[in-house]
Amino acid sequence: MPDTPTILERPQRWDAAFDPDMTETVVDRLLATAPFSRMNAEKFPQRTPLREILRNDSRVLRFRKGEIIVRQGDYGTSAFLILSGATRVVLKPDLAPSLLGRQAPGKKGILRTLAQIWNGSRPAEFFSRKQPGQSTGLGARQDADEVRVFLQDVPRVLDQHRTEQMTSGDFFGEIAALSRMPRTSTIFADSDDAELLEIRWQGLRDLMKYDEGLRSHISRIYRERALASYLRATPIFQHLDKAQLDRVAEAVEFSTFGDYDWSGEYKRLAQAGSVRPEKEPVIAGEGDYPNGIVLVRAGFARVSQKFGGGERTLNYLGAGQIFGLNEIAHNWRSKDAVVNFQFSLRAIGYTHLLIVPTRLMEEIVLPSLPKSELPPLVETAKGENDSTPPEAAVREKVGAEVLEFLTENRFFNGTATMVIDLDRCTRCDDCVRACASTHDNNPRFLRHGPSAGRLMIANACMHCADPVCMIGCPTGAIHRESFAGQVVINPATCIGCKSCFNHCPYDAIRMVEVRDERGELLVDQEMKPIAKATKCDLCVENYGGPACERACPHGALARMSLNNLDPLVKWLKL
Amino acid sequence: MNRFRHQLFSGLGASVVAGAGALWLNGKFNALPDYAFLTGWALLAGMFVLTIYNVRKKLPFLPLGKSETWLQIHIYLGFFTTLLFLIHLNFRLPHGWFEIALAWLFVLVSGSGMAGLLFSRVLPRRLATRGGEVIFEKIPALRHALKTQAEDLALGMDAKSPVIADFYARRLAAFFSGPKNLWLHLAESRRPVNALLAQLEDLRRFSNDAERDQIGKLSALVRQKDGLDYHRALQLTLKLWLFVHIPLTYSLLIFTAAHLVFVFGFSGGAR
Repeated sequence: MPDTPTILERPQRWDAAFDPDMTETVVDRLLATAPFSRMNAEKFPQRTPLREILRNDSRVLRFRKGEIIVRQGDYGTSAFLILSGATRVVLKPDLAPSLLGRQAPGKKGILRTLAQIWNGSRPAEFFSRKQPGQSTGLGARQDADEVRVFLQDVPRVLDQHRTEQMTSGDFFGEIAALSRMPRTSTIFADSDDAELLEIRWQGLRDLMKYDEGLRSHISRIYRERALASYLRATPIFQHLDKAQLDRVAEAVEFSTFGDYDWSGEYKRLAQAGSVRPEKEPVIAGEGDYPNGIVLVRAGFARVSQKFGGGERTLNYLGAGQIFGLNEIAHNWRSKDAVVNFQFSLRAIGYTHLLIVPTRLMEEIVLPSLPKSELPPLVETAKGENDSTPPEAAVREKVGAEVLEFLTENRFFNGTATMVIDLDRCTRCDDCVRACASTHDNNPRFLRHGPSAGRLMIANACMHCADPVCMIGCPTGAIHRESFAGQVVINPATCIGCKSCFNHCPYDAIRMVEVRDERGELLVDQEMKPIAKATKCDLCVENYGGPACERACPHGALARMSLNNLDPLVKWLKL
Repeated sequence: MNRFRHQLFSGLGASVVAGAGALWLNGKFNALPDYAFLTGWALLAGMFVLTIYNVRKKLPFLPLGKSETWLQIHIYLGFFTTLLFLIHLNFRLPHGWFEIALAWLFVLVSGSGMAGLLFSRVLPRRLATRGGEVIFEKIPALRHALKTQAEDLALGMDAKSPVIADFYARRLAAFFSGPKNLWLHLAESRRPVNALLAQLEDLRRFSNDAERDQIGKLSALVRQKDGLDYHRALQLTLKLWLFVHIPLTYSLLIFTAAHLVFVFGFSGGAR
């Protein structure tokens, strides 16, 4: 009997509303509230009407005084509008890490370092209720399905920090939500009845798209707060004076491609074996006229070239890298031999971009660059010059198999990826033993993982440039270490909710059931084991760097950034 | 030049210079009255540095430098210490059972170290080339799973071919029952698996369609099992040499301590 296919309704954008309990009454109320009351609903297309955006992409939250709404350094995918009550933003100095549920940064002292010699005899996953760096001045309460963390001593915070009150009608969190940047400030509720509308990024993106007022408001904030300093730090703009830089900042367009929730989508596609470049959103197409350079602000993009019936990857670009400069600089210098984009640029997962128009590049930016900083002319005519273009050179250096492997598995996201050279690795497991010794007898990675050629990417936290695991942690337990930016988990404030575990696309986080000093499971009042999320912390508390890397006798293991391929090329050099 | 070649050339260069220096000093000073004490202490110091590498390995959480650097020092100091040992022996054969035992221990420790170095440089590349990376500790479970699959194919409820069942009982049951061909895998010989596959191919010629399908699947399982055996053989070798090198080192240290006691206990008359 032939198999009959399972027929399902095609998944739609709003199959899962942000708040399934959102009512029509609440939506009516929102539509009567600024800024939605000022929006022209007719400008929204039929498939994404304003009303449906509010119904499906937003939710109303209520906070009590002192409850933290957003934490500085956290990654979030939503913005907030204050509907009633007040919130307070902490300006200077920043709140102490312990007040944000985080581990106090710093290394272990000499005694704690030496104590590791005998700590190896402790039971696996021993959890002391007196964790060093355990939070103080922070409480937690359960509110419906969510855990709310609150500051226990708000007056003291107000005394010791410069803060500013925000009241109804104020917006915050929109830049972090749209550009996938960490939150720049901590904001907590300043009244017992603070009512906020949380809008997830998809809704915010559509609101911006169809409402000129919101678009110009967010665009202005973005240009003022984030853009100027970013452009100033970008090498090709360093020769511009302030007036020229302001002109560039004014003309820059910003754009987001792909999907914020790429990790879930990626997991699904990877399981189905259908991760293919042809399906990724095109940012710039091969053969298109170059109407601007593309600066990758966050996320990643794939540089590809048509090959046979598909696309072959030549390179990938991460934050700070530029696409299209070669072609635009060529056209500026050789007006008679104008070239189009030589390659395609496609969003991998999620990509936030800045586009500097060609006109401005030709008028201001390119004339400011010294000749030595201008890219070489594009060699277009096939056969005229057989030299390899810079984009394709990377492919030649690392090899096509490795490049496709790194791209398809999204390993470029790692800033401290555990790379193993199988030609050198004797499988001695010294790295695993070193990791276990450094973490009280608990190894925090698996010396196994996907491989291509002589390269293996072990199953260890990569400390991603885009740490999707950090989105949604209710207590701030998973966070970036303030100095070097490692992603770490504070066991003292981890409540075992599995948010990070579920978000990690690389399965690098494990949930463990913790034990007391006798090796007995710790349980809650309902006798359920208490779980904590664990992962590689890059030996952030130890001197000397990651123990795994230092322990490899054959130099076969390295922790390296794969955000660009230069370190890997250098490391693998034959 | 890549970092491994750089390590090799700088290590060899340092060893040659140090070795030449030691030989020159030996030629110049070996007539000194307490020369054997001098070379003995130098040898002991070399052995001490070689031994504390193991201590470094046991304290990975302390900032004691990279194990890779330690290993490079261990390798080239090992070569140099071998030369010191020959100088200490004054390039003559040892005599007396204790001295012979001590010298044999030294030779075995050095030899096992050199064998380990050779294995560490050759076998990983062979494993990577063969592919099918597997964790050593998981091999028995994977082997069991392959055996179960093969048994189901040949002898299970759905298997209806007495010819295949008979072949399985005669030829494949033993092959799937445990690790096989360790030495041949180390010698990179594929003779046993090719012979098995050839026999399966022979069987295929006289089979019907259903049996051919079964034989195809069995051949794939044979290849997988052979790959698993290959990984086991090479990974086991990479692990086992240390089980020779380290216990012998401890024995050598005990004999060396006894040698020190004997030398200082009985050297009064010799002076």
